Amino acid sequence: MSEMLGNQYFLSRNYSKAASIFLKVYSQYPQNLSVRKKIIICFIQTGEMDKAFDFFYELVKEDIAVIINTNPVADDCPCTELVEKYGMILPYEENSKDLKLLLAMLWLYCDANKSLEYFKQLSLLNREEKKYNDVIIMIEKHLSSNKIKTN
Amino acid sequence: MKEQIFNEEILNSLAEGVLTVDKNFKINFFNRAAEQITGYNKSEVVGQLCKHVFKCELCQLRCPIGMVLESGTDIYDHNSSIEMKAGSRKPIRLNAAILKNSNNEPVGGVISFRDLSELMKLKSSIISPTNYLGMVGHSKPMQEIFSLIQEIADCEANVLIHGESGTGKELVANAIQATSLRKDKPFLKVNCSVFPLNLLASELFGHVKGAFTDAVKDRPGRFELANGGTIFLDEVAEMPLQTQIQLLRVLQEGTFERVGESVTRKTDVRVISATNLNLKKALDENKLREDLFYRLNVIPINVPPLRERKEDIPYLVEHFIRDYSKIYKKDVRDIDDNALEVFMNYPWPGNVRELENAIEYLVVRSKNGKNISINNLPPSFRANTIVNSVEASKEIQKDNTSQLVKLLEKHHWNKTKVAEELGVGRTTLWRMMKNLSLEEKE
Repeated sequence: MSEMLGNQYFLSRNYSKAASIFLKVYSQYPQNLSVRKKIIICFIQTGEMDKAFDFFYELVKEDIAVIINTNPVADDCPCTELVEKYGMILPYEENSKDLKLLLAMLWLYCDANKSLEYFKQLSLLNREEKKYNDVIIMIEKHLSSNKIKTN
Repeated sequence: MKEQIFNEEILNSLAEGVLTVDKNFKINFFNRAAEQITGYNKSEVVGQLCKHVFKCELCQLRCPIGMVLESGTDIYDHNSSIEMKAGSRKPIRLNAAILKNSNNEPVGGVISFRDLSELMKLKSSIISPTNYLGMVGHSKPMQEIFSLIQEIADCEANVLIHGESGTGKELVANAIQATSLRKDKPFLKVNCSVFPLNLLASELFGHVKGAFTDAVKDRPGRFELANGGTIFLDEVAEMPLQTQIQLLRVLQEGTFERVGESVTRKTDVRVISATNLNLKKALDENKLREDLFYRLNVIPINVPPLRERKEDIPYLVEHFIRDYSKIYKKDVRDIDDNALEVFMNYPWPGNVRELENAIEYLVVRSKNGKNISINNLPPSFRANTIVNSVEASKEIQKDNTSQLVKLLEKHHWNKTKVAEELGVGRTTLWRMMKNLSLEEKE
């Protein structure tokens, strides 16, 4: 299966078809970070939140910059339109863990600070989930190292 | 490195625009002709997503390279249009293919394209007394239609084209769009009768993900995609009443909502519509809303059936022979007088479309370098017209005897059924049988 065809489906916002192709590419080339980054968006869009978080967690651990350095315009990443769309639902579903997790993951593609806020909220809601804390630490580490660089 | 420069020089020497994209659909090469055709510099587009730059008509619906990836077949000579740097659109003819690496995996795509704007200008300037933008007609009613299209070229009013099936309503719509102020803008066509009731609204106005079972993603409708341009609504009177109300709102206010969404969107679209229904009857039976009818029918155009403009038949025949000879690579020159006489006497219930199909059949069956003769006519056609010309009937007598016998045997010599299949009366069939010396089976 070709990554390029998956990219085409991704660009035309056909996430279920894109996901099935990207997963096959991933099974062949697990080191392909760009594909893994897109799989997360596909799973979010197909409502498979647990799978999305599994991929998200592994990718953040491996190289958080792959997600943080996304250029939504140049990469045609739908993250900005999605955070806007799902953000509008949040006031009505303020206790939804899935919705918070979805926004936490999506915001990392466009604004790491916002993502951090959501992961902190999630961590308070689910203290036993260690992975949220791990993500928080990794985002903070990335942000502080970037601060040092800019200083 | 030297080889790459050499290849680029070759591509830059082509008159065809060439661009290549990487596997992420970002442009990585753009030749000189592409710069000239589009107005963009290479440096402005390299690294950009292809669809963001050109907004090709196809990008909105199906990316040409995506189509090649899916089908595995390259695209040749596909007509489309792209947006120039200046904002206007240009008609192009494109080819698309995939670039693969040594593992046979797609790693990019190449699109080559030609600028068709000069050709289109030339085509539209070829307006002879009998050929107007692809429409053939020497008769008074057709000449009046051609004049009317010229007169309304500068106005943006909606047009309703009425005519029997096969009379060429879509060609009239094409000509109106091609001569209008919106000729360089999108022109989309929707046949309102082919969509299930609940899907037409989605097709016209778009939908959001989850609006119905198959709505797996947000999709813009035709009115959104045609913004600034023209939409052709064929079989408009077949539209469900609920959708007619939505269409009326677009015509009155230029606003609509996607199915399943409450956000009101704006659009500026000129509507050309067509129908073959009896509009008075449709209005009386409340199948077509009166207020919508008046909005659509600002400029009414009635395309006459072929039987009412028989003087156009020789010109149409000549036109289709020329077209189909090219398509089938045949050297068919003309139609002989007897065959033309049969054509002139035939009522053509399927109008120009039926005539076109008949000519296609005849060109396929004819031998190179010869005229189309009555012997090549489709069997049902010959049987229908056999009584119209004594001379013609003599010529085809031999061939028709066996055809008619076959038909009679098929219906166990039931003349009512045979006459029905031939579309003639029993008396006519009796006369045909008598002419062909066919004895009646007891």
